[in-house]
Amino acid sequence: MNAPMPLLNVERLSKSFGTHRVLNSIDMSVKLGDVTCIVGPSGSGKSTLLRCLNYLEVPDSGVVFLDGDPVGMRWHGNTLRQMSFNELAAQRQRMGMVFQSFNLFPHKTALENVIEAPIIVQRRRKAEAVEEAMALLDKVGLRDRAHYYPKQLSGGQQQRVAIARSLAMRPAVMLFDEPTSALDPELVGEVLAVMRQLAEDGMTMVVVTHEMSFARDVADHLIFMDGGVIVEAGPPKEVLSNPQHTRTKSFLARVL
Amino acid sequence: MAHDQKNPASARPDIHETKPVPLRHPSWWIGGAALLIFVIMFIRLLVTNENLHWDIVAQYMFSAEILAGLGRTLLLTFVAMIIGLAIGVVLAIMRLSRNPVFQTASWAWIWFFRGVPPLVQLIFWYNLALLIPTVSIGIPFGPELWSASMNSLITPFSAAVLGLALTESAYAAEMIRAGIQAVNVGQTEAAATLGMTRSQTLRRIVLPQALKIVIPPIGNDTISMLKFTSLVSVLALPDLLYSAQMIYSRTYQTIPLLIVATIWYLVLSTILTLIEHYIEHRLNDGKPLELSLVLSSLFRSKFWAPRRTEVSA
Repeated sequence: MNAPMPLLNVERLSKSFGTHRVLNSIDMSVKLGDVTCIVGPSGSGKSTLLRCLNYLEVPDSGVVFLDGDPVGMRWHGNTLRQMSFNELAAQRQRMGMVFQSFNLFPHKTALENVIEAPIIVQRRRKAEAVEEAMALLDKVGLRDRAHYYPKQLSGGQQQRVAIARSLAMRPAVMLFDEPTSALDPELVGEVLAVMRQLAEDGMTMVVVTHEMSFARDVADHLIFMDGGVIVEAGPPKEVLSNPQHTRTKSFLARVL
Repeated sequence: MAHDQKNPASARPDIHETKPVPLRHPSWWIGGAALLIFVIMFIRLLVTNENLHWDIVAQYMFSAEILAGLGRTLLLTFVAMIIGLAIGVVLAIMRLSRNPVFQTASWAWIWFFRGVPPLVQLIFWYNLALLIPTVSIGIPFGPELWSASMNSLITPFSAAVLGLALTESAYAAEMIRAGIQAVNVGQTEAAATLGMTRSQTLRRIVLPQALKIVIPPIGNDTISMLKFTSLVSVLALPDLLYSAQMIYSRTYQTIPLLIVATIWYLVLSTILTLIEHYIEHRLNDGKPLELSLVLSSLFRSKFWAPRRTEVSA
């Protein structure tokens, strides 16, 4: 193997809710610095896949490897054992996540949201955390909103604060779970612009999205999911302009 | 439309200048009149009935004995509330823990202290020395490090605090549990993805939001507690009620002194209500509140509140 080991490697991941098989033996990998977009109709399992990557959702079988380490599990001889929550917490610091519904802490200002985890989890000095948080808020264009509470901010601003909050932990990979789906159309652009900038800076990103133009322009790798399986994957221009599978064709005909 | 033909636009006044006539409810006037008659009858009773002895009420209103009792009532209320809430937070966390031992212990505690009437508890705690004459701390089945007789530990005040605080802890636990469960799951997920441990999430993210949710019921409980403290008169602890009772057992002015106690209880519960409203408003919009707004909110029924905001919006 001469190729560098992928940052994220998913092996035969399966997950059922009751009798409904949401993920059916998924294999995928994400290279360092790549942007992977996951698209597909609702109910195709794409959000569940993303949530399995950082073990928010516990898969029934299969393993996610982050930089070679199994996520949520620990080698014990030749078998894998489930980690304690605190071990998992340490691992999750390396994977930032941005949610559809922002999930900012409503009792803390934008700045306090961003410095919370660096101070509490990583035990960084407050002055240093504030300085870095202000730089991040500047980067997402919200330096002047640092002392606003989430409910005083628009949806797009809240989502940009949420991105800054995740970046403050200096994660190796950022996971985005439909980051613009809860936003008014005129606010989508500001969030996508921040994500574009992030991709240009070389951040490894996995993005579940309905924004096809973002997927086409930014993604290095596009995954189309339907019915709990990866139907088609490849460079976005190929998948979008020349889909091989009928399910991909009919989905793209509806959204493009 | 038929409606428009009956009432053509030209015959109507300019709609920008007219105001709709507010709806009148005849029931308001009838009910109001009936109520007014009762109010007048009640005021007449207060003024004309000489057994009330307003002069004696005035004489004892600020007497040292009554004020000392008032102080004890307040002290008891706040000590019992603080201890009750502190235990309640722990019980709520235990109840929501995944550890079955904690869950069961918390459930049993709540079951017991919510099931036994506070008056029974007060008497029971006061007589604890009959059950356990001495308490000692030491290694089980081994040497004793410290011991004391139960009679010296259980005073009327400590028995009262135990009875009231433990009852409160059971109610507070259920309230706080509901508050914790009302915090959005997204909050714990967000904290988890930031690498926070369970206890960090609980302390920094969930509890602050849960406590904000339970402020109104805590205020309510504080007012209940103020009134429940009157039970301690059975332990001969001179709170507000027992101080009044001691005075009227000497002077036989039963009714005037009960009125003194009643007025003080009303004053205290009104003040507590004002404080509760003030804190609630502060938490809702984070702005300091004008006194007039707090006062008017006292008389505003919560039942109508959502409709009013709809109208003003």
